[in-house]
Amino acid sequence: MAALTYYPGCSLKTSSKFYETSIKQVFSSYGIEIKELPDWSCCGASAAHTVDDRLAHALVARNLALTEARDHHFFAPCSACYIRSKVTNERMRQDKEFRKDINNVISPLKCLGTGEVKNIIEVLHDHVGIELIARGLRHDLSALKVVPYYGCVLTRVMGMEAFDDKENPTSMDSLLWALGVELISWPYKMECCGASKTLTNKDVTYTLSGKIMDRAVLLGADTIVTPCPLCQLNLDLLPYLGRTEKALPILFLSEVFELALFGRLTGSNSHVIAVDEIIKKVKEID
Amino acid sequence: MNNLTFLKELEELSGENISSCYQCYRCTVGCPVVTQMDIYPHRIIRYIVLGEREKVLRAKSIWTCLQCITCSVRCPNDIDIAHVFDTVRKMAIKEQKAAEQDTWTFDKAFLESVERHGRLHEIEAILRYKVEKKNFFEDAKMGIGMFLKGRMGILPHNVKDRKQLKEIFKKCGQ
Repeated sequence: MAALTYYPGCSLKTSSKFYETSIKQVFSSYGIEIKELPDWSCCGASAAHTVDDRLAHALVARNLALTEARDHHFFAPCSACYIRSKVTNERMRQDKEFRKDINNVISPLKCLGTGEVKNIIEVLHDHVGIELIARGLRHDLSALKVVPYYGCVLTRVMGMEAFDDKENPTSMDSLLWALGVELISWPYKMECCGASKTLTNKDVTYTLSGKIMDRAVLLGADTIVTPCPLCQLNLDLLPYLGRTEKALPILFLSEVFELALFGRLTGSNSHVIAVDEIIKKVKEID
Repeated sequence: MNNLTFLKELEELSGENISSCYQCYRCTVGCPVVTQMDIYPHRIIRYIVLGEREKVLRAKSIWTCLQCITCSVRCPNDIDIAHVFDTVRKMAIKEQKAAEQDTWTFDKAFLESVERHGRLHEIEAILRYKVEKKNFFEDAKMGIGMFLKGRMGILPHNVKDRKQLKEIFKKCGQ
């Protein structure tokens, strides 16, 4: 049984609480234990690095240091948390001067960058694997047409290797394929949803997320699947941003696992765009 | 010969090799918000090389940027353009030349909430931003909708060691 230190980040405790519930159910059914990092703090997301680079790294290093004192697995399901943590962790490990400076800021804590930062796709590949996933299906999802939407930042890191291709990732595709859904290939895997502009300039989110939604509808998909809480939220808020055309429900990656394993969605009431049609397409395996 | 001070200053601050740009336009072509920019990304880079300090610092584009990093990943010369934009933002704020205040105002409200609680208290950050903007009702319907779906918390999530967090902010000059 694998045990990972779990860094929820602010989203999974507030706007995407049902993502956390979903992950916990799915992971526990695969025998992965996640232990929430005690006294974790915000990673700074997109705000900290715009205001001050050192602060951005220090906020992340605090959480990494708390993790290192326990074990070396740092699991961050939110794409922003994941990428901020990954970048700082790598620099803390490689850049001595930088490490000294940041450790001075977070003292008495100490971060060496020895931990391993993972997102949900990596955890499912590394600790379960597609063979076990495919063998353990309890429900038939073959009637479900899915477009995989990774979001813009998950593999976009500069100056280091990413866990998957930076332009055309396929790691989530293979997980979804193992779950038995009908995968639709499309060019919008990594298009930006509008990120935090929803508050400062919502027309940007309306346009960008709307473009992604239009394409998914055009391709005949039933749902857009993403691992990122901000992408899920922005696309799910489209009706509030003024969209009157058809809008498909946006599922978290773990929710597709929930469908395949348990045939239901615990967080169905948290979705703005109704998921009923999706659940109807799930069949029993005879 | 043009003035290279601005280029040198930005290369130093960002750590990026900006002068290696050969104007291939890939950054501009891949940018999802390029249609809303007053100066295209490749031109911002060129203006930096040419020492057009005022034009760059007062550009709207640097605030239109979503930091999606598409341009950086596609740059054949490995210039992290998004990071250059991020660096220009700080400089523009410092010199009070920013063409747009909203992004900065929101980011500050976000960080103040983190400084106070250790974690983002969404509704507090949003309301503070709205107070700054004197614009309460624009997104009220969306906020209520989110609340009804259980997607907007009322109470803050506080970390225990807030003293250490405040210390981190202080040491970073915030």
